[in-house]
Amino acid sequence: MKRKWLSGPYVLWMVLFTLIPLGVVLYFSLTDSMTGEFSLSNLASIVDYWPIFLRSIWLSIFATLICLVIGYPVAYYIAHCKPTTQRLLQMMIMLPMCISFLLRTLAWVALLEDTGIINNFLTSIGLSPLPLIRNNGAVILGMVYNYLPYMILPLFTVIMKIDPRLIEAAEDLGCNRRQVFAKVVLPLSVPGIVSGITMVFVPAVSTFYISQKLGSPGTILIGDVIESQFKAAYNPNLGAALSLVLMVLIFVCIGVMNRFTNDDEESMVTL
Amino acid sequence: MSQELIRLTNLVMEFDGERVLDSINLYINDKEFLTLLGPSGCGKTTTLRVIGGFLTPTSGDVLFDGKRINDVPAYKRKINTVFQRYALFPHLDVYDNIAFGLRIAKLDQREIDERVTEMLEIVSLKGFENRKVTSLSGGQQQRVAIARALVNRPKVLLLDEPLGALDLRLRKDMQNELKRIQQAMGITFIYVTHDQEEALTMSDTIVVMDKGKIQQIGRPEDIYNEPKNAFVADFIGESNILDGVMLEDCKVKFFGRTFTCVDKGFEKNEPVDVVIRPEDIDIVEADAGHLCGTVTSVTFKGVHYDTIVDFKGFKWLIQTTDYCPEGSYIGIRLNPEDIHIMRKSEYSGMFGDYSSYSAEYDEIADAEGSEDET
Repeated sequence: MKRKWLSGPYVLWMVLFTLIPLGVVLYFSLTDSMTGEFSLSNLASIVDYWPIFLRSIWLSIFATLICLVIGYPVAYYIAHCKPTTQRLLQMMIMLPMCISFLLRTLAWVALLEDTGIINNFLTSIGLSPLPLIRNNGAVILGMVYNYLPYMILPLFTVIMKIDPRLIEAAEDLGCNRRQVFAKVVLPLSVPGIVSGITMVFVPAVSTFYISQKLGSPGTILIGDVIESQFKAAYNPNLGAALSLVLMVLIFVCIGVMNRFTNDDEESMVTL
Repeated sequence: MSQELIRLTNLVMEFDGERVLDSINLYINDKEFLTLLGPSGCGKTTTLRVIGGFLTPTSGDVLFDGKRINDVPAYKRKINTVFQRYALFPHLDVYDNIAFGLRIAKLDQREIDERVTEMLEIVSLKGFENRKVTSLSGGQQQRVAIARALVNRPKVLLLDEPLGALDLRLRKDMQNELKRIQQAMGITFIYVTHDQEEALTMSDTIVVMDKGKIQQIGRPEDIYNEPKNAFVADFIGESNILDGVMLEDCKVKFFGRTFTCVDKGFEKNEPVDVVIRPEDIDIVEADAGHLCGTVTSVTFKGVHYDTIVDFKGFKWLIQTTDYCPEGSYIGIRLNPEDIHIMRKSEYSGMFGDYSSYSAEYDEIADAEGSEDET
């Protein structure tokens, strides 16, 4: 390969900012915070955080599934619009992504608070306020709102690429519209579904800000714990161990999911 | 046997106000091999898609077995299609692709198995059941596409330039194969192609189309030997087309000379187009010829030489196995049955002069023709 050097800058970048930091994380998680000696105590204390891990995972799975259920019809609809409409709708979906993540989440706080916009409205028309914030539902809502575009865009791309002649071929062979969808469109959008799930699930499971603002101490996520280990508890070793375990768990989740698709089918995220 | 199966009456198709099909009238007999032949954009694929149910005609009727089927959706028609570039399902293997239609029809597994196996044998793909369709060669994919359509035992099979992507050798094999399958299974084939040789080889009936209109319908021999107008003469095979005047029955005058021909039924002194096929022309010594001219170019084509001869400024193409060097002065003789007379049409004067002929011309024209028309 003559042009191998072209990838040089990227390889250097990977080594400097991905591989070396990973090594550092590994080093921290395997050393004692006081003595700096080799120790498995950090990894062993993960057991205490197991419930938080599980909560993070199931909340994220829930949010991911909601994104899929909302996102698929949207992506399907956009893929069948005229090109000009497509561009407009794509813009609309991307638009929230251009606004700061913090701002978007804070806006939801303002909406959902006990004395927020929605509850103020309810009381003003004589209804009793609802407990909209500081629960699992609010956290899931925050995740869905923030990560939905990452579900729609890969789905849209894949559905767009489905050859319309395949749909005609299915009709030709006797499929009505429902069967065309079940037998051809859906199976062929699997790569997009996998990409979308990955791109929503991975950031959702490691998120920390959403749960702090929209959740309660009872809905604390693993991302929050990791953050607090570095910023409040000054125990980077435990924080490193937690993120290492999180990384492994994410890999396992993605690995399980990729088993559902054929190995040689192209997906946007492969491991 | 020749019972009418499909009839198109006054079929008109418009896209955004542009007329793509202009009053097509056509009937197709049961068990017939009918070819829609024409250049890119002539409306042949559109006609096929109307029959298949993928397009609803702007006006006119599609009749199947005497019943109007304009509004019957594709999936309810007893018609199957072999698509351009096959449109195989990439997420299914060979077996599942072929079994697709049978599973939709909810046949039981035993029968599906039997029919798929039988089909694989017919298209000589035994042992390929579990191969991914994306791993197959063009010819194999082609045969899967044919099997996938035929396994449903349709009354009619539509084929949209199915051999377009194959190389010449494979194309010839598949032509014979398709004809054999059609005869063995007794199914009506409606075949779309821009390749005149393919059409002549396989068809019972050829429908020549251009600009959304049918130019001629007939058996391959009739289309070739008795082209109805200059377009057909030029599109089917090579032709020298010249201006002439029909003096009386069996007497035609062109290049200032009167020739005997075999055509009748024209007005006295009616202006006509005269077609002379390049392979029908005999080259003789200059003083023994009906006409004399100078050879301006010679191209070796394998079986014959393409020889361009200049007769009084009009260049003729002559296909001959005799080599005549460039610049030589030769004569030609024409037999009465080699002179074909056509009535004047909108195509008169557009074809037939080989002034701009070059050996590469054919390939360029072919490359244009194989482009998509949809």
